[in-house]
Amino acid sequence: MPFNRKPQKFNAAIKTVEIGTGDKKVTLGGENVFPFYAFDGEITNEPKVGVEISDLGLENEVPGVKAYYEGANTIGEMAKKASEMEGADFVCLRLEGGDPNGANKSVEELVAVAKEVADAIDAPLVVEGCKNVEKDAELLAKVAEALQGKNVLLLSAREENYKAVGAAAGLAYDQKVGAESAVDINLAKQLNVVITQLGVKPESIVMNVGSAAVGYGYEYVVSTLDRIKAAALSQDDKMLQMPIITPVASETWGVKEAMAEEEDAPEWGSREERAISMEIQTAAASLAAGSDAVILKHPQSVATISRMIQALV
Amino acid sequence: MAKFITIGERIHCISPVIREAFATRNPEPILKRAKEQLDAGATYLDVNIGPAENDGEDLMKWAVKLLQENFDNVPLALDTANRKAIEAGISVYNRSKGKPIVNSADAGGRIENIDLAAANDAIVIALCSAEGIAADNDERMVHCQTMLERGMEHGMDPADLWFDPLFLVVKGMQDKQMEVLEAIKMFSDMGLNSTGGLSNNSNGMPKAIRPIMDSALVAMAMMQGLTSAIVNPCDQRLMETIKSCDVFKGNTLYADSYLEL
Repeated sequence: MPFNRKPQKFNAAIKTVEIGTGDKKVTLGGENVFPFYAFDGEITNEPKVGVEISDLGLENEVPGVKAYYEGANTIGEMAKKASEMEGADFVCLRLEGGDPNGANKSVEELVAVAKEVADAIDAPLVVEGCKNVEKDAELLAKVAEALQGKNVLLLSAREENYKAVGAAAGLAYDQKVGAESAVDINLAKQLNVVITQLGVKPESIVMNVGSAAVGYGYEYVVSTLDRIKAAALSQDDKMLQMPIITPVASETWGVKEAMAEEEDAPEWGSREERAISMEIQTAAASLAAGSDAVILKHPQSVATISRMIQALV
Repeated sequence: MAKFITIGERIHCISPVIREAFATRNPEPILKRAKEQLDAGATYLDVNIGPAENDGEDLMKWAVKLLQENFDNVPLALDTANRKAIEAGISVYNRSKGKPIVNSADAGGRIENIDLAAANDAIVIALCSAEGIAADNDERMVHCQTMLERGMEHGMDPADLWFDPLFLVVKGMQDKQMEVLEAIKMFSDMGLNSTGGLSNNSNGMPKAIRPIMDSALVAMAMMQGLTSAIVNPCDQRLMETIKSCDVFKGNTLYADSYLEL
């Protein structure tokens, strides 16, 4: 009997969310097939790659990252270089310095950084807070206000602060809202429900369902991504049809495989190569499991993942 | 697995208000009941125009257009003994939100409604009875087979025949209840879809009791594999039970607000 190929067609699709403005704007989502199942149906918007920069600058970065940004003296110049990196679709500014347990920079100072970055690039911008829920509630609301008209994505609204972040970003200033849960599929759905109930349009929400570096409970990340995509497509679950963004660099560059210097772990070889490998493996797995965008740091990772996407879609 | 499908039963000419509205072509009472049912979570709406021997075709067309134009092409079950009226309804039906349901065929005098559904790419509710209620499950399954074969001979996808075991009233037929539930399991084991007028079971019971009996039965029936039911979606206890069972069955993903969805 001849092989009869039956495409797996769904009567449901991931919603599309646009970030940025003008020629460089990107569209996340829109697919109605499983990740990279281009043989089942057309994938109009291939997954996107973002480049992460931090308000804390380059001090702790590996030589390859420092070298790439050589000559950039301000955060604005760094952002410009990030947006020009091979394979980059958007820039992600992390306002880590806002952490009250860290540099504890003021909201005003960080808003000024965000404005400088937004003005320096025409690529779409994602702004990530400092992960402190109280500080982010204020910080991200102020960033949303300051960057009106730029159509940025703000990461993230969490269970503790979704009202403040969601209302400012999604309602008052017409930006895009990132809904963040930590590898908890039921909470991922619940956040979408309550943010929608605030009045934010589903087309303004992007999910960050959590991440981890490979080897660090990463199986749970994959199963969460898998189950969300399956429910969104096969059960037409409207509250799970938001596209997914996964910050990868912030997870992978902090684990010991990426941190240990070669002299401390000679059997592991070059630190930079190891760290790049962690970043690429985690990003590739996240995309294969259903992420519509990943955020990376090293130029080699960005170029590699971008080429992988082009080859598969 | 797909979510349980509820077919709202409250647009029914047995209600004096609705009968009057049909007769005078008065949209208000019909739209009001449709909205109540959709707000309460109904997927399909049943449109029962009765025997409608005189103006059935015109009436069904009017009702289909009225409901679909006002409620974003809501999918409908066309419920009448008048076959021409069902065909007329389908002729103006917009299927963007789901195929029309022919309500209903049986293995006796109404078997030709299966042909009608097949000819119009519709779903058909296939009542597992012929002349009177099936005596036992042997007879029910013979009817089921007869109708399944009839549909397939006419090119239907078996998934478009929704088999109705015929829910029976507890007061008077209590001893038959488990048999009905077993029939649902047999449909399910054959991979077939099923539906039925679930609230038949509580006919004649006090008003306060009916939601309790209906909820218990729907939970047991869903466990057996029932995929749909014709219900009163404004019965909150029943709808909450269905949504909870959908969670247990993995038909929907749980979230704390699942009852609000």
